Amino acid sequence: MASVSQTVRRVRVRPNYETIAWKWMRYSAFAMIPLVWGHMILQDVIVGVHRIDLDYVAMRWASLFWRVYDTLLLGFAFAHGVNGLRQVLNDFIHGERARKVMNWLLFLFWLIITLIGGTALIAGVNRAFPLS
Amino acid sequence: MSELKTTLAGYVTYRGREGHWSFLLHRITGLGVVLFLTIHIIDIAFVYFNPVLFMKAIEIYRSTLFGVGEIFLVFCVFYHGVNGLRIAYLDLFKPQGWHIESQRRSVRWTLVIALVLWLPSAFWMLRNLLIHNYGLFGG
Ligand code: HEM
Ligand code: HEM
Ligand code: HEM
Repeated sequence: MASVSQTVRRVRVRPNYETIAWKWMRYSAFAMIPLVWGHMILQDVIVGVHRIDLDYVAMRWASLFWRVYDTLLLGFAFAHGVNGLRQVLNDFIHGERARKVMNWLLFLFWLIITLIGGTALIAGVNRAFPLS
Repeated sequence: MSELKTTLAGYVTYRGREGHWSFLLHRITGLGVVLFLTIHIIDIAFVYFNPVLFMKAIEIYRSTLFGVGEIFLVFCVFYHGVNGLRIAYLDLFKPQGWHIESQRRSVRWTLVIALVLWLPSAFWMLRNLLIHNYGLFGG
C-alpha cells in the first residue's frame, strides 16, 4: 500500500486541552486492561455478588495494596469514562456556549462522584453505623 | 433538536459496514459501562456513608435480572477493552494501518477475541446464578 503510506505525514500540533484528552483516552487504555479486567474477573466472576458483603469489603480494604489498586481504578476508569461521555456529547452539542456549560457540568459530575468514591476508600467500612 | 435527529439518523442509516458496527458497539458499550460505574462507585461508597443501604444494594445485585445484566456488562467491558486496545495501538503506533481492508479484518477479529474471552466468564456467572437463585447443581 505505497499510496497509503505517502498520505501519512507528521503534523505538529501545539498541545491543547483536546489533544491531551485524546492522548489520555489512548494511554489510559493500556493501564485499564489489567485494572478493569482484573477487578471485574475477580469480583464478578470468581467471587460473585453472592459472597460480597460488608465483611468482604472490610477484609479487602484491610490491605493497602487493594486500596491503592481501587484508587487507581477509580482514577483511571471514571476519568476515562466521563471524558468518553464528553466525546459522545460533543457529537450532539455544537454551540460554543452550550459546550462550555456541558464541560463544566461534566467536570462537576466527575469531581463529585470521584470525591464520594475517594472518601469511602479513605474512611473504609463504617462500623459505628447502627445496622438494624 | 434537529442536530440530535441528524446525528442519530446517521448512526442508523450510515452503511460503513464493519467500521460502522465497530464504532456503534464501542460507543454503546462505553456508555453502558460509565452508567454502571457511576452507580457502582456510589453503592460501594455506601459501606462508609450508609452500610444498611449497601446491603440493600447488594440484595438487588443478587437478583436474577441484575445477574443477567452483569453477564452483559462483562461482555461490554471485554469488547470495549479489546476494541479500545486496537484503536489505541493503531492511533499511537501504526496510523498507516487504518485502511478499509485491514479494518474489516481486524474488526471481525476483535469481536471473535471478545467473545472467546467472554464465554467462559458468562458460563461461570450463569452457573453461579442458577446455583444461588434457583438451587440448581446442588446449590
Ligand atoms: C478496559 C479497558 C478500556 C480500554 C482499552 C478503552 C479504550 C478506549 C479508547 C481507545 C477510546 C477512544 C475511542 C475513540 O476516540 O475513537 C474509548 C472511548 C470510550 N470509553 Fe473506553 N476503554 C476501556 C474501558 C472503559 C471503561 C471502564 C469505561 C467506562 C467507565 C469506558 C468508557 C468509554 C466511553 C464512554 C468512550 C467514548 C466512546 C465514543 O466516543 O464513541 N471505557 N475507550
Ligand atoms: C458487577 C461486577 C463488579 C462487582 C461485583 C464489583 C465489586 C466491587 C467491590 C466489592 C468493591 C469494593 C472494594 C473491593 O472489594 O476491592 C468494588 C470497588 C470498585 N469497583 Fe467494582 N465491581 C464490579 C465491576 C466493576 C467495573 C466493571 C469497574 C470499572 C469499570 C469497577 C470499578 C470499581 C471502583 C472504581 C471501585 C472503588 C469504589 C470506591 O472508591 O468507592 N467495578 N467493586
Ligand atoms: C453518523 C454519521 C457517520 C458515521 C458514524 C461514520 C462512520 C464512518 C466509519 C466507521 C467509517 C469507516 C468505514 C469502514 O471502515 O468501512 C467511515 C468512512 C467514511 N465515511 Fe463516514 N461516517 C458518518 C458520516 C459520513 C458522512 C456524512 C460522509 C460524507 C458525506 C462520510 C464519508 C465517509 C467516507 C468517504 C469514508 C471512507 C471510507 C469508505 O470509502 O468507505 N461519512 N465513516
